[in-house]
Amino acid sequence: MFNSSTTMELIQRQTSLSANIVAFCRFLRQKGYTIGPQEEADALRALEVLAPFESPESLQLSLKATLARTLAQQMLFDEFYTQYWKELEKAVNSKPKEGAPEKKPAGQGQQPPKVQSIKNWLQGGQARETEEMATYSTHEVMGRKDFSTIHEDRLWEVTRLIHRIARSLALRQSRRRKPANRAIQLDLRRTLRLNMRRGGEILDLAYYEPAQRKQQIVLLCDVSKSMDLYSRFLIQFTYAFQNAYRRIETFVFSTSLNRVTSQLRQRDFGAALNELSDAVPGWSGGTKIGESLHEFCQAHASRLLNKRTIVIIMSDGWDTGNPELLSESMRTIKSKAAKVIWLNPLAGSAGYEPNTLGLQAAMPYIDVFAAAHNVESLRDLYRHLK
Amino acid sequence: MIQNEGLDRIQKMLREQGYISEPSIVMSIFLAMQLHKPLLIEGPAGVGKTEIAKVMAAALQTDLIRLQCYEGLDATHALYEWNYQQQLLHLKMAEDSGKTLEEKERDIFSEKFLLKRPLLQAITHHQAPVLLIDEIDRADEEFESFLLEVLSDWQISIPEIGTVRATHIPQVIVTSNRVRELSEALRRRCLYLWIEYPDFDKELHIVRSKVPGIDERLAEQLCHFMQEVRKMRLEKIPGIAETLDWAMALSALHIEHLEKELVESTLGIILKDWQDIRQAQDSLSELFEKVGAISKLDNL
Repeated sequence: MFNSSTTMELIQRQTSLSANIVAFCRFLRQKGYTIGPQEEADALRALEVLAPFESPESLQLSLKATLARTLAQQMLFDEFYTQYWKELEKAVNSKPKEGAPEKKPAGQGQQPPKVQSIKNWLQGGQARETEEMATYSTHEVMGRKDFSTIHEDRLWEVTRLIHRIARSLALRQSRRRKPANRAIQLDLRRTLRLNMRRGGEILDLAYYEPAQRKQQIVLLCDVSKSMDLYSRFLIQFTYAFQNAYRRIETFVFSTSLNRVTSQLRQRDFGAALNELSDAVPGWSGGTKIGESLHEFCQAHASRLLNKRTIVIIMSDGWDTGNPELLSESMRTIKSKAAKVIWLNPLAGSAGYEPNTLGLQAAMPYIDVFAAAHNVESLRDLYRHLK
Repeated sequence: MIQNEGLDRIQKMLREQGYISEPSIVMSIFLAMQLHKPLLIEGPAGVGKTEIAKVMAAALQTDLIRLQCYEGLDATHALYEWNYQQQLLHLKMAEDSGKTLEEKERDIFSEKFLLKRPLLQAITHHQAPVLLIDEIDRADEEFESFLLEVLSDWQISIPEIGTVRATHIPQVIVTSNRVRELSEALRRRCLYLWIEYPDFDKELHIVRSKVPGIDERLAEQLCHFMQEVRKMRLEKIPGIAETLDWAMALSALHIEHLEKELVESTLGIILKDWQDIRQAQDSLSELFEKVGAISKLDNL
């Protein structure tokens, strides 16, 4: 790997260490790090308190501690760090004059195509759709008159429905409290305040009751190849859901699980897409529901799920993974969550039976199994959940 | 490896408190203290996040004030609450004292009737304490914003008394298990540290220092075993605390090396979920092969 002692040499050859740090911050910003003046100042102050600097390791560690503020940023930091000094070295060696090391990072050029591919995928290239359809039996073909071909003007209706569903799901009792008119529990604080103006004689009593609280929702969305037809709807659905309702965690899975909550939390749908394409590697791949759900159970379930959490799984149940693992994971999820809802886009088509191996394994642990293939089915779902 | 006086001091401090650390931890603690910034520590359960605050308090010879977050935590549990029962009692007793309403009110809304909760305690402490805000991700977003306000202004306003300013700014440690994503604003206010499960060498080091009497070979086997167990698909992956519990139990039994039956009967110490236990039992031979093979190599 990169020899770190040359780092120090480089620093000495360049004008000053702090100029380099500022340039490095700019480099990281290009890589998507959120670095403002505050972070920059922190990094510079860190150098000050660490001076005199003797080891390159502590330079790296101190920059990491001050500039990388999420797990993802920490994980990638060392690589970027090495990359930066390498490029700087190259730059300095090739033209050893002056000038800020503002090198374009090598990976930059690859991004637009990636975004493009996900957009193509979302628009659902016609050729690919037919190719897909041939893979599965006739049952599924009937599901086509649905969201995969939805009109723009009905889209707002979907969004509105989702808002309503989100809201009806959301209202539950909270641990917090609010003033009540009925005699439920005595609110001493307010009682005291209320009666103080009478000189402390207690005449009126004040009460409180549990406040309504917004429910936590976890959305697990299958984005494997067999779900391609519903891609547009699914993304719209999750995006609308996420924006209708803040207390929600969204994951997508195909062969493995990805958390996309923060990517979807964008004002702009396009920006959300860009972020999604960066974050999810195995889009449109095979399906391993069991493995993905297990990953969810392991990494997130014990923390995300409680008796006020509703888990919504959106998948067709086509699974190439391990059904035992699926049923085991479903049991875990069911035991921890308030409600498990499985939305299946295929379930709306006539003659559909939920008899894929995966679904059969999952069935015992599902509270609501419903179709989600068109606006009407969503309306049904809403009634279901009320 | 790291040559800096301040860093060395922290390293020594941690070592004296029995905390086995690594350079990134030392650096983060050092910078948090030097830059007077809160330190946000994330990582899986049981890797010693909370421990850092305790060690820090001991090393700085100051008090640790802890705010354990939970669902529904609100300002009255984090900041202050009036002691209503006492206030009422006081009013009752003062009934015939002839005091005016204003006087009575001044009486009962004084510091004497104020119950200080951790945040208020921390900023009014006689010396700068270490303030541990544990598992912030369990509290809701409203609380997080509220906390942010306290962390930036270092003052708390109590309507009946006025604004209470911090006498000393506490050293703040915030921990999170990543239940939910924390807000960008909170992240940007803190320095960030991620702690992973320890690797074999670090874990062995920890076991040796915390369970001094342990047989050398047992310690190694045990740590290998734990490393392998963590690779399994488990509900609850055991942390360092579990390793230490196990090590202490086996050491107390004067065991010198791991045996299958022994492991089987003591699995409950490291695995806390019956499905996990069953799964481990089923693959015990496999686990043993891995651990055994490694320890055999070591003995050569």
